Amino acid sequence: MSIAVASPGRRLPANLTIGATLVALFIVLALLGPLIAPYPFDQFNVRERLSAPNLAHWLGTDEFGRDVLSRILAGAPYSLLMGFGASAISLALGVPLGLVAAYYRGIGGELIMRGVDVMISVPPILLGLLILAITEPSLWKTIVAVGLVYVPIMTRVTRSVALGLLGEEFVEAGRARGESAFYILFGEILPNAWPPIIVETSLRVTFAILLGSALSFLGLGAQPPMSEWGLMIAESRPFIEQAPWIGLAPGVVLCILLISVNLLGEGLREALDPTFSARYGK
Amino acid sequence: MNVLEVDGLSLRYATSRGPLLALDDVSFAVPAGGALGLVGESGSGKSSVILALLGLLGAGADISARALVFQGQSLIGAPIPRGDRIGVVFQDAGAALNPALRVGLQIAEPLMTHRRLPREAAIERAIALLGEVGVRRPREIAAAYPHQLSGGMKQRALIAMALSCEPELLLLDEPTTALDVTIEAQILDLVEDLRVRRGLSLLLVSHNLGVVERVCDDLAVLYAGRIVERGSSERVFRTPSHPYTKGLLGAIPRIEHGLRRLVPIPGGLPDLTQPIHGCNFASRCPFMVSACATPQMLFDLGERHAVRCHRAQALSDAAWPSEEAAHEPRLRAGPPVLEADEVSKTFLLGGLLSRLSLARGWPRLEPPREIRAVDRVSIVAARGEVVGIVGESGSGKSTLARLLLRLIRADRGHLRYVGREVPDLPGPEFRRRAQIVFQNPDSSLNPRKRVREIIARPLSLFGGLRGPALDQRIDALLDLVRLSPAYRDRYPHQLSGGEKQRVSIARAMASEPDLLVCDEAVSALDVSVQAAILNLFADLRDRVGVTYLFISHDLSVIAHLADRVVVMYGGAVMESGGIEEVLKPPYHPYTEALLSAVPVVGARERAQHRIRLPMEAPEPGQGCRFAPRCPRRVGTICDDVEPPVHEPAAGHRIACHIPLDQLERMEPALLRPGPGSEPRSRPTG
Repeated sequence: MSIAVASPGRRLPANLTIGATLVALFIVLALLGPLIAPYPFDQFNVRERLSAPNLAHWLGTDEFGRDVLSRILAGAPYSLLMGFGASAISLALGVPLGLVAAYYRGIGGELIMRGVDVMISVPPILLGLLILAITEPSLWKTIVAVGLVYVPIMTRVTRSVALGLLGEEFVEAGRARGESAFYILFGEILPNAWPPIIVETSLRVTFAILLGSALSFLGLGAQPPMSEWGLMIAESRPFIEQAPWIGLAPGVVLCILLISVNLLGEGLREALDPTFSARYGK
Repeated sequence: MNVLEVDGLSLRYATSRGPLLALDDVSFAVPAGGALGLVGESGSGKSSVILALLGLLGAGADISARALVFQGQSLIGAPIPRGDRIGVVFQDAGAALNPALRVGLQIAEPLMTHRRLPREAAIERAIALLGEVGVRRPREIAAAYPHQLSGGMKQRALIAMALSCEPELLLLDEPTTALDVTIEAQILDLVEDLRVRRGLSLLLVSHNLGVVERVCDDLAVLYAGRIVERGSSERVFRTPSHPYTKGLLGAIPRIEHGLRRLVPIPGGLPDLTQPIHGCNFASRCPFMVSACATPQMLFDLGERHAVRCHRAQALSDAAWPSEEAAHEPRLRAGPPVLEADEVSKTFLLGGLLSRLSLARGWPRLEPPREIRAVDRVSIVAARGEVVGIVGESGSGKSTLARLLLRLIRADRGHLRYVGREVPDLPGPEFRRRAQIVFQNPDSSLNPRKRVREIIARPLSLFGGLRGPALDQRIDALLDLVRLSPAYRDRYPHQLSGGEKQRVSIARAMASEPDLLVCDEAVSALDVSVQAAILNLFADLRDRVGVTYLFISHDLSVIAHLADRVVVMYGGAVMESGGIEEVLKPPYHPYTEALLSAVPVVGARERAQHRIRLPMEAPEPGQGCRFAPRCPRRVGTICDDVEPPVHEPAAGHRIACHIPLDQLERMEPALLRPGPGSEPRSRPTG
């Protein structure tokens, strides 16, 4: 066995570069949306309703003659906010809860995990509905609701990873130094727990966009005539044979975003893992 | 007539850095009824030999050989009769048995596949085989699942499985590495017995020279994929001729050598993806000359003894150079640093639900099952003293280590540190002054942190160091464990096992502790690396004056380093005292059994003297914990009454019902090896 020498300036994994570039592109387009959109997103044009993609309307028009491309651009901020916002919320709550549940395996951990079980046993849509039904629907509340729905999954993933790591001898060495629970959890365990958490999060981003769309479809998220990708897909349903582009265009865009996010997650996992280049060569 | 002939076996693995030459022109033969030992450290390719012979290597492996002949028939391109005429026993008995199938069925399986026996007949045969490998109540064991068996029992079941189709050749891959010494001794007895009774031929692969010497007539030493020395084991041990063999023999801690300094082999294995034209050991060899860069042939020294070193004859009298002189006498018996008084820990098994019983009508809670892990153990360690704690698995020694550091809460007893009581939740001062080094180098360092961060943490935590002062201290600590400052920016995966252990030691030493608990700190290391780490511990003790609690299952390691020994069994102390006193009679019967089981290089004649403990025993009663397995059990008094403590010398305590004068008349269990087995100091002719 030869010992690999620490390499200065490790090359970034290709999937990180590609994923990050695409996600950045999405964010830029979302920010610039209103400026570069060819039409206002809510402008009706009855004469050109349900027209196929052409030079004037690159992605065609919907049943009210609204430009699909403009609506996609207008909906981008909401979809991105939904995906990343909800994931951030589930990450921020779920990861610490999971760490704490793993560390205090007695009554404290038991309470957290049984609470998580209760939350998981309720279907996510129903839970989202419940939260939104109590209060007035709005986009922000949808984000919070979707984020809360995914907290239990994050907690479980984090806890199972942390439980394995807590048995490692470097954790015991920390205890022998009299380190606090906070340092052991966030200084020793968390850096090693990231890979599965990141993979889980990149999946959550995509699920959050889809769940957000579902809630919008039920009339609890973005309100018409506001544009949002999930809402667009939902509204296109009656015209799927007549004008498939109305649903297909936002669907494909959503797909590309999801793949970019997954690439970004995968790349981050590799970049954060110091053993990765040694294991897979360069 | 040879059962197995291997000629020019080479093996390449495809890796991302190009093909890796794992075996390079390996040739050996196992004579009918003979036993060949293949010795090497990790990475030498010894397990690859077994896997290549069995055709069990994956698609990435490229095997070539001039000849592989088993019982006169070539194995190349032919179906390999593995599990049939070639039986195999793998290292980890726990992993080699399927946890979901009954043991008897697993032993019967080869008979059903290869011999087409019907299931019932095959299982009957399996039961007979279990009887043959020394299992009492074989019918019950055949009906059991693997998790219900002890480690030694599983190993016996695996041997029975390997024997099921009446093989002519038995391959044993580290068959006793995972076992306690007393169990190991029994398994080796069994292997020797089977060999005689069945006329089996054996190929034994092991890193443990003592095991190989006990079982094998012939031996081949493998280094980095090449056989460097080959011959009868008696001759190779008496006159080791390759520098690597000499180094290996010098690096083993020997129980009979006492505190003599070990001779480590510097460096590590060569990069096998690069072609090596000359001697592959040259970079680590103290006798290296320029001619070593030319290809080396195995050349014959006579009496079937061959060695791959052109200087073998010139060096026949040369001993491996020792890096330093022997220890200087040390100051001992300072004031006590750590005093533990009747410390106890009982673990309760079973959660609320598993204890809920619905028998006899009403639901009620059964009392939890108790495991007395540590039972009223008292230990005193003085400044600069090394206290060895020895015991087999389940003896409670690791629990004791954690109790003494207050990492787990004791149920009873007192702990004093420099005369002051240590509370259940000790403050930073105790944490700073009492540190621990762990067993597993792969698990003891956080894989996401660089060496610098790992060592810096205790420095900033306890010393508040930062900036250039911190960097200086890190370099000083690396220097203390003999690592260059270049290691600061490496991650643990870029270090070898020995280097990782050095970083662990540096981290523990960073807070300038007075007490270092070493929990099996060298068990996971290769012999040559282990020697270097043991020397490092000895140096730290002499230079820094640290007190050690050195925990090990290996009595030879303890005997090499410790001033005093505590022998534990089943959570209780059987015997304690100075190392010289414990290693000679009067003994506690358990110490005697332990000593007689240790495989000692160069002491084959000990065979008549072995004491064997029964494998299975009932739970101990209120009396002596060892009574159910004790070969010298007096009577029911041993089970029921706590044994009295004899004190044959000051500080030497034996807890046993046997009267002291009877214990004193015991024969020594540890024979000094004969004059012919002093390989390095005595030129032979």
